[in-house]
Amino acid sequence: MGWRIIPKLFQNLLSKPMTVKFPHESIPIPDGYRGEHAYEIEKCISCGLCAKICPNRAIEMIEATTRENKEKYQKQYPKIDLGKCCFCGLCQDICPKDALKLTKNFFLSTFNKSTTIKYPFKTEDGAK
Amino acid sequence: MNNQVMLESTGKNEYELFFGPAHPGSGNFSVKLEVDGEIVTSARANPGYLHRGFEKLMEYRLPIQNAVLSDRICILEPLNWNLIHAEAVDELMGIDVPERAKYIRVIMAELSRIQSHIIWFGVFSIGTGFDTGFKMAFGYRDYILDLFEMITGGRVYPTGYICPGGVRRDLPKDASEKILKVLDKIDEMVKLEEIENPVLQARARGIGVLKLEDAMRLGATGPLLRASGMKVDVRKEEPYEVYDRLDFEVPVRKEGDAYARYMIGIEEIKQSMKIIKQALREIPQGEYINPQFKKPKLNVKMPKGEVYVRNEGGRGEAAIYMVSDGNTKPYRVKIRGPSFLHMISVLEFLLKGVQIADVPAIYWSMNICPADLDR
Repeated sequence: MGWRIIPKLFQNLLSKPMTVKFPHESIPIPDGYRGEHAYEIEKCISCGLCAKICPNRAIEMIEATTRENKEKYQKQYPKIDLGKCCFCGLCQDICPKDALKLTKNFFLSTFNKSTTIKYPFKTEDGAK
Repeated sequence: MNNQVMLESTGKNEYELFFGPAHPGSGNFSVKLEVDGEIVTSARANPGYLHRGFEKLMEYRLPIQNAVLSDRICILEPLNWNLIHAEAVDELMGIDVPERAKYIRVIMAELSRIQSHIIWFGVFSIGTGFDTGFKMAFGYRDYILDLFEMITGGRVYPTGYICPGGVRRDLPKDASEKILKVLDKIDEMVKLEEIENPVLQARARGIGVLKLEDAMRLGATGPLLRASGMKVDVRKEEPYEVYDRLDFEVPVRKEGDAYARYMIGIEEIKQSMKIIKQALREIPQGEYINPQFKKPKLNVKMPKGEVYVRNEGGRGEAAIYMVSDGNTKPYRVKIRGPSFLHMISVLEFLLKGVQIADVPAIYWSMNICPADLDR
């Protein structure tokens, strides 16, 4: 009855654990992983499709507020709330110019709630 | 009044006991038990802790957004629910799904069923005090999650991988070999599960016996009904996708007790592995999604009509009833979760007259999911 467990016991004593020591080593993240967004404002044509398809309404189209940005970017650009985002990747799929992409970065936990909002402009515009 | 005081004042041994929602072995669900000493005299299910209102939410979203939402109906088998939703929209809109997409859908749904059944084994083990089984199950489940991560881009939630028209991404080039490698690992796991464990047998044999007539009367489906002796499977009766071309058997047991249900789970994992191997052999080349739906679209109108689609989920018969009034969004969506009847009528029936110690064993032997009960 119980003898089949004996070879398994020795096997388990000698085999590696299933887990890895996470902060020091990590399992490889495959291509196509849906992580944090990478947004390129130069490619964006302000069509607003990403905001319309977002199932959680995590994307809002905003205008620049600082004078410097207002001159350069006159249309509306997506502001992404990572707290609402479910990382479905529909914004990436629908984007006609590939301006919005999901990257492999999954280190998104934070102590500061305001850092969960991604502003489209490179300077601190909008982040009050 | 605490129990001790009540016992002293009334001289009776009857009192109320809550199993859940904070009990470590209950999930987001609660059962109110009335006990007389060690014996449960009556049980009353108390659902509602996980209600998220999917039926209403779906009325405000496009089908492609609903595909993302449909994952969360049952957390433990998201791809099966993806498939049901996608099939309902496909049938309502009359979309032709390419052959390759159908095979990918079957492979993913079966992988999802395997990992759901592995969790079933894990939680049943912990419900009967076999902690190693729980850890083993979750360790082996991660191999399948690795596959999901590679194919869909997310470990637990595929976020609408199976979408109306096909699937959102093609299988990666080396997916077939990787899936077969993982199936070898799962084979290893099934062999470990099959080792006869006298403690588990003592805890599960003859416990929570559900006779066939009771099972039919109370509305049991899926593994529960099969463990009670009825050969029933939607994949065989009303084949969807490519199940009619695949060769597999429907495991049936007559005993109807917790042990029979546990064994049905193991046999179903084996059959699912058989299905995946066949599908991987036969999968054709070609499109993975209907070209019309390759880019998500915002203004696709659904024709007027209604549709009822049923599938064999890991937990039993799962279905979606969808009505459209000719707009882009569905007019009404009704979700039939298999756990609803299992967790209310069947559970209340089975818990009557058992010992308190057997409650978790019965509860987890039924492969239930509070998420698809509450929806």
